[in-house]
Amino acid sequence: MKRLKRLFQQILFLEILAGMAATFKHLFVRPITIQYPHEKRVLPNGYRGFIALLRYDDGTDKCVGCDLCEAACPSRVITVISAEVEGQPLKRYAREYAMDMTRCVFCGLCVEACPVNALGMTKEYEYATYDKRNLNLNKEQLLAIGDRAFPVRETRVEFQHPHAAFFNVAKRGYPAK
Amino acid sequence: MIEMAQYLIVVLVTIGIVMVTVLLHVAYLTYFERKILGWMQDRMGPMEVGYHGLLQPIADGLKLFFKEDIVPAQANKVIFTLAPILVLVPALIGFAVIPFGRDTIQIFGLTFRPYVTDINIGILYILAFASIGAYGVLLGGWASNNKYSLLGGLRSAAQVISYELSLGLSIVGVLLLAGSLSLVKITEAQGGGMFHWFIIPQFVAFVIYLISAIAETNRLPFDLPEAESELVAGFFTEYSGMRFAFFFLAEYANMILVSCIATILFLGGWHAPFEALSFIPPILWFVGKVYLFLFFYIWIRGTLPRLRYDQLMMFGWKVMIPLALANILVTSVVLYFVKG
Repeated sequence: MKRLKRLFQQILFLEILAGMAATFKHLFVRPITIQYPHEKRVLPNGYRGFIALLRYDDGTDKCVGCDLCEAACPSRVITVISAEVEGQPLKRYAREYAMDMTRCVFCGLCVEACPVNALGMTKEYEYATYDKRNLNLNKEQLLAIGDRAFPVRETRVEFQHPHAAFFNVAKRGYPAK
Repeated sequence: MIEMAQYLIVVLVTIGIVMVTVLLHVAYLTYFERKILGWMQDRMGPMEVGYHGLLQPIADGLKLFFKEDIVPAQANKVIFTLAPILVLVPALIGFAVIPFGRDTIQIFGLTFRPYVTDINIGILYILAFASIGAYGVLLGGWASNNKYSLLGGLRSAAQVISYELSLGLSIVGVLLLAGSLSLVKITEAQGGGMFHWFIIPQFVAFVIYLISAIAETNRLPFDLPEAESELVAGFFTEYSGMRFAFFFLAEYANMILVSCIATILFLGGWHAPFEALSFIPPILWFVGKVYLFLFFYIWIRGTLPRLRYDQLMMFGWKVMIPLALANILVTSVVLYFVKG
């Protein structure tokens, strides 16, 4: 009986008809396509895109040039050249700060390593370019990304908390606005 | 003399109209196929060129025009050039005998018929030319000097020969019922509502015809001659530019041709299914039925995976041909007793 039923199914192509019913149903399913350049998906918070250097709300940069990000970076993206504010040996800042984004793996370890929250990960991901050298970002470019991605800036720590560490101060007015 | 000139004008204009219409439909069939396949896979299909990708076939055609025309080293140049033509011409020439509609049109005192010609061996003529198309595939595969092309060509030859038998045999039942080989006469024999269509007495033949037609046009699930995942592109691996476009056009023109024949033989050609619906022009009925078949082919393509080669051969020789022969036997015996 079972074999007869199986033969019957084969003669009538029942399996094929079931498959065709499935494909026909999908004709009316809404496409899951996102028409990329015209419409973009909503990124989740915590998306790890381009890395940005941040400033305080008075325009001075947060970075104190401690080199911890450079040490944390697994693919040696970051180069920091640290310098001290003249006459104030305890106050340091990053004279030069470069990121070679061609090597970056967007792991976020530099952001976690930063003691003063001077680095942030943005939701920018469209950085395709015709020239690889355009991805070798210097300090101004990184700060510009930060300005673009984080319009709300933090107040300086000593104004938030009068007793915060006094050395956590960058050279005032650098870079010139 | 004037009659001769009038005749020539009528024939040439009809040929021109039929060719242009068919080629346009071929171009938009690719769009149709990509859209439907896309929807079946929860995608959108072409969306960028024009409104919802409507200009995509034109863009594709222009692109193919500007592609480099490469002839591989050591290829047999004459046969390599001849093969695409040998494939395309038989695919297009079959449309000469397809009756697209019923009514003749009078313009400037000239009578235009909705078909180029009505010869009394119409269906035989189409079958004969369809077989010539196989030569193009075979020669193209051989002349390319490429193992994938050769394998594709060989497979195509074996497949076309196997399935042409069942295709031809499935038609015989219809011919017995209609009593003619002329496509116009076959269509006229099915007049008077959908219960006079040959799909009802010849349902087995209809199924055999559909399956063999898919195999004849080298489409999934019988696309072994051009199996992308094993043979690169089969017999047209080495073709590029307009020669590739010829193969492509031929494949889709063959699809339309095969659908036209199925419409005429089994679904009553231009006839409306009910008398009440005959206010819709016959030509629209014809086109609608043809597109029904084309949708079916695309639907099958979206559903089934490719057959293995031995499965293909076994199905062709051990299932289709005996079934088709049995169908002929039953049809002729029944006809003998009914018509007496």
